Formats: sequence, C-alpha cells, structure tokens
Amino acid sequence: MQGFDPALFEQIEFLFLAGMVLVLAYLALEHKEIVYAAFFFGFMASFVAGFFLLLEAPFIAGMQIAVYTGGISALIIFAVLILPRVQDSTLEKFASARVRHIGLLISAVVTVLTGFLAIIFPWAESFNEAFVSISQDLNGLALWLWSENGIYVQMVALIILTALVGAIALLKIDKAEQLGVIIGASGGEASSTKDERTIADDVRTIDESKEVDA
Amino acid sequence: MIPLTWYLVLSFMMIGLGGYGMMVKRNLIRILIGAEIMGNGANIALVAISLYNPVFYFTGQGLIMLVISVSAAHTALALVLMLMYNRRYNSVDLGKPIEMEGR
Repeated sequence: MQGFDPALFEQIEFLFLAGMVLVLAYLALEHKEIVYAAFFFGFMASFVAGFFLLLEAPFIAGMQIAVYTGGISALIIFAVLILPRVQDSTLEKFASARVRHIGLLISAVVTVLTGFLAIIFPWAESFNEAFVSISQDLNGLALWLWSENGIYVQMVALIILTALVGAIALLKIDKAEQLGVIIGASGGEASSTKDERTIADDVRTIDESKEVDA
Repeated sequence: MIPLTWYLVLSFMMIGLGGYGMMVKRNLIRILIGAEIMGNGANIALVAISLYNPVFYFTGQGLIMLVISVSAAHTALALVLMLMYNRRYNSVDLGKPIEMEGR
C-alpha cells in the first residue's frame, strides 16, 4: 500500500495496547464488583501479551497467555467463587479518602520520578540501541536455558514445587486442626465437612449484616 | 521502531498503578491483583531491555520465563494463605484483626 508507514502503524498499535492495559488495570483495582475485577485482570494479562508480540518475543507471549490469563486469572476467579463473603460487594470495606489520597500521591511520585529517569537516562550510550533482529530464535533460547543454565532452571523448578507442596500442606493442616475441634466439641463424627459449615456460616453472617444495614 | 523509553514509561506506570492498589486496598484479592499488575509491568520492562540490548537477549527472556513461573507459584501460595485468613477471621479484609482486637 502506497504511503503506508509500518513504524507509524506499530506506534499506533503500541498506544492502543497501552491504553487498554492501563484502563483494564485501573478497572481491575477499582471496579466495585470483585468478580468483574478478576475478569478485567484476565483481559489485562491478555493485552500485555500483545506487547511481547510487539517486542518480537512470541514464546513469552504464549507463556503470558497460558500462565497469567489461563492460570492466575482462573485461580483468582476460583478464589472469589469459593469465598461467598468476597462476592458480596456491599461487605467490602474501602480505605478512607485520606489514605487513598496519600497512596495516590506516593504512587504518582514514584511513577513520575522513575518515568523521568527512563526518559533522561542515556540509553543510546549505555548500550547499542539498534534493534537486533534475532527474534523467534527459540533454538538458541532453549540451548541457552537448558545447556548453559540448566542447573538454575532445575533449582527454580524445585523451589516452585516446594512452595506448591507447602501451600497444599498448609491448607490440609489447617483443615485437619479445625475438623479436630469440631469432632472434639460434638463428641463424635462431624455431620458435615468444615467447608460446608464455613459457607453456611458465611451466608448466615452476610444475611445478618444486611439486616443490620437495613 | 518504538523507542525503548515508551516501554519503560508504560512499565513504570503499571508498577505505580499496582503499587497504588497494594497500598490503598484492604481486600486481599485486590492486593494480590495489584501485585500481579506490578509484576506484569516489570516483565514488560525486562523484555524491552533484553530486546534492545543484544547482550541481554537470552538473559532477559530466560529470566522472564522464570519470573512468570515463580509468579504462578506465588499466586497459588497467596491464595492458600488467603483461604486460611478467611477461615480464621471470616473475612478477607486486611483490617479485620485490628478491628477484632479493638484497636
């Protein structure tokens, strides 16, 4: 197409993605309904993958979609769904206006200062800013990761596995302790599981607090 | 070509936004979302720098893979801690223990 400038198109694409990411991130933090907030976070993670495609890192983009959009968002939505108190937006307490203003001020100062440093820092002198087109070199990346730094990858995998096993153990220990208390108090087998009791208690507490508010 | 500065400014804005969420919010899930937004901002900065500097090309991308994996594990751990907090205080509000102590 005559007069078509790919660089301009790329810049427009960047601005569109940046706008979407910032708006969705803001909505994920500020939307009143936390279920919608969790979905907005998932959409934001998908748009971030667009930046990785722009930066010619398609493998990272795929990983971003698989882990953030597919895994972490699903985990957050799952957590929201199994906690009935969280779903009720009327029960959510927000920080006072003073705290919000202070938080906004601190984060704005940090953002402006770091952004200013990013703008004035002599990137061109610190390293060669010429765009190096070695993208999609997955073979090189795999060799670098597994041949030269395989031990670190295995170490990190072990740490992650330990963290996950620890998380499951924590949950199980807590559950077993609470079940022991129920069995001890009733003098026999508990008729329902702790989870069912917790959910029933939650629903009752929500109803009571709504009656108080009314 | 998009200048590196654009990516860095965007990533710092995301880090600032996530930091705001972590400082101001009382709901644990929103705090977790704030932390994830900060992580995403840092990831963009790392990938951008790694691509604009040939020396860091593989280092940056390999680091991002590890960061994303660790991020998934830390989210799972955070959610388990959140469930335990909810069982103990019957709430995911960060100020609940202080309220219960009457301070």
